[in-house]
Amino acid sequence: MKMNLTVLSVLMFAIVSYGLYQLSYEVQQLEKDLGSIERRIVDNKESVRILKAEWAYQNRPDVLQEMAQNYLPLLLIAPYQVASAKDLSEIVISATEAVKVPTPRLNPRKNYSPPAKAPTGGFRLATYNIPEDRQ
Amino acid sequence: MSEMTWLQKSTRSRFKLSKQTRSRKPDGRQAALHLDGSAKETLEQGRNRLVMAGAVFAFCFVILAGRLIGLALSGDEGASQTAQARENSAKIALGDKTRAEIRDRNGVLLATTLSTASLFAEPKNVIDPHELAAKLTTVLDDMSEAVILSKLSSAKNFAWIKRNLTPVQQYKINALGIPGLHFRQEEKRFYPMGSLVSHLLGFTDVDNQGIAGVEKYFNGQLGGSNDTAATDVYLSVDVRIQHALRDELSRHMSIFRAIGAAGMVLDVKTGEVLGMVSLPDFDPNRPNDFSGDSKFNKVSLGVYEMGSTFKTFTKAMALEAGKVGIYGGYDATKPIRKAGFRIRDDHAKKRWLSVPEIFMYSSNIGAAKMADDVGPKKHKAFLTKLGMLDKPSIELPEIGAPILPPRWNSLETMTISFGHGLSVSPLQLSSGIAAIVNGGAYVNPTVVRRNLEKGLMAKQVISAKTSNTMRRLMRLVVEKGTGSQAAAAGYLVGGKTGTAEKVEGGRYKRNALVTSFVSAFPMNNPRYVVFAMLDEPKGNAKTHGFRGAGWTAAPIIGRLIARIGPILGVTPVDEESDAIQRAMFVPINSREKKLASF
Repeated sequence: MKMNLTVLSVLMFAIVSYGLYQLSYEVQQLEKDLGSIERRIVDNKESVRILKAEWAYQNRPDVLQEMAQNYLPLLLIAPYQVASAKDLSEIVISATEAVKVPTPRLNPRKNYSPPAKAPTGGFRLATYNIPEDRQ
Repeated sequence: MSEMTWLQKSTRSRFKLSKQTRSRKPDGRQAALHLDGSAKETLEQGRNRLVMAGAVFAFCFVILAGRLIGLALSGDEGASQTAQARENSAKIALGDKTRAEIRDRNGVLLATTLSTASLFAEPKNVIDPHELAAKLTTVLDDMSEAVILSKLSSAKNFAWIKRNLTPVQQYKINALGIPGLHFRQEEKRFYPMGSLVSHLLGFTDVDNQGIAGVEKYFNGQLGGSNDTAATDVYLSVDVRIQHALRDELSRHMSIFRAIGAAGMVLDVKTGEVLGMVSLPDFDPNRPNDFSGDSKFNKVSLGVYEMGSTFKTFTKAMALEAGKVGIYGGYDATKPIRKAGFRIRDDHAKKRWLSVPEIFMYSSNIGAAKMADDVGPKKHKAFLTKLGMLDKPSIELPEIGAPILPPRWNSLETMTISFGHGLSVSPLQLSSGIAAIVNGGAYVNPTVVRRNLEKGLMAKQVISAKTSNTMRRLMRLVVEKGTGSQAAAAGYLVGGKTGTAEKVEGGRYKRNALVTSFVSAFPMNNPRYVVFAMLDEPKGNAKTHGFRGAGWTAAPIIGRLIARIGPILGVTPVDEESDAIQRAMFVPINSREKKLASF
């Protein structure tokens, strides 16, 4: 009996210490991982900072203006081109009248032709026609 | 005591063998050895010693075991300490000590801090300087071999080769693998927008301490301290508006060959500055490459005699004081002579002018008489209320105090009524005009995004009725008067021109003008004040040689408002519609003699 108890306690001691050592090493490994992850977070944050600065730098208004001038057929918005949603006419759909529902076509692109190409050459953005007498 | 000494000293026989005679069992036990005397003593002593040694060893092992268990339980203390240190340094890099960012009102990045690598060499450890220089020039293409060699030739143990490299350069230099070269991490303030927001932002010195502009004013907040974290600053400017303003100003500066220009856009309700440009400007990324002249902020630090734009204040004051009504007028036939001075009109009509006409044709005589009616005391009090006579308060270190006349009597009142004799900054003028048009409430201007939920400190300076009349008068100037070129169809622009001769050495320089135009739009419910100023513009063929504000400064306003109107969300209106015409109606009440039909 006494023998058994001794063996049991020794066994228990061995198991518990093994478990403890195992846990301890696991924690150490996790701490190491945490450290490296934190280091990577710092590095990544620094990269994000640089990329954000780069993004802001590439999106300078003067660069955008120049690119829009060269590649977009857009001019300055004239006052008559500005409207609000209220100005749009409303289409009333009658509840009683039968409304044709469009059915899917067999070949939707049969009658499609690509839009005419935008005219080449430089376009001036952010400018508008100044009457001759004002120039 | 060693064994030898014990042997020598012992006189007794070492051991004695005695035959066992009284043995009961005749098996092999009778050979037992009985130790007696000195031998027994020796043996016991030896055992004692063994026990002692065993105890010492056991003690050591117990300590070792204890330490081992301790280590297993708590982990490596040294390692945990380095982890702690790493954590601390990580926190610093994560933004506790990094100088915070500056952004515009929409969150566009204006200033940030990047950690960059700087390259230095230890000349003593460099094996072959010539080879090093040759290799380095392949990466640092802006440095010549000779420059690198001269840096290496110094006897010092340390020599900077280049500060603040780009990450690509750092990678390439690392790849070269030259011994004797090292990197050091440094923080560098970076302004992605370049010179666009230069005067407002200011710049920092090599230690990342703000020494101008917002960088200086908010140095504490941006840099943080031991107990407060560094926090970002959101400015009230909008880079899109700032760009449009700078673009138009620089374009017209070159058209009219002006030596400088300034402009600002101000929200009349909140006092927020949406754009503030002073030309020539500088690149805050490399402030040392620019002269002190270009670092001078003409908007907040420069004070100028603003000329006729001051007539807006004179008119508002006279109407508010009830000295003259909109139907009244003054005789502007002859120039005023007072104390050796002669006040005359630039656009002389030589007849009686009604109040709207005085404003429309910018009559100095009319304005002077109007101000004289009110009197110097009230004039001074009125301008004080509008913040013209005190140093303005705004979140910038560069603020110019107005230059007041040494005394303020009837003559000074007359000259100040049309903007001479008192120098104010464009910032003061714009915020004063904002108060005139927004219903009469003076709001302190700010360059920081305002939280409107917190409420606004406003001070009523003129009545809403006077403000309404002033809006119509300012609209009249653009519609029919000197500022017709400032019109931007649909945006109902109103404003006032101002042309002043520059003062140099106490005398007016006839050939050097400062032309300005202060405007607000849309005039039926003003939301923004737009100011533009040119320093020494020259007339050209298109302006028929004229260089007055109506020819040089007003076109800037017209083009600018057409550009920024859609960005600011101002809905264009039909200026010819009845409702608008009625809202902007002013009885001109002219007594101009129409030619009788022959």
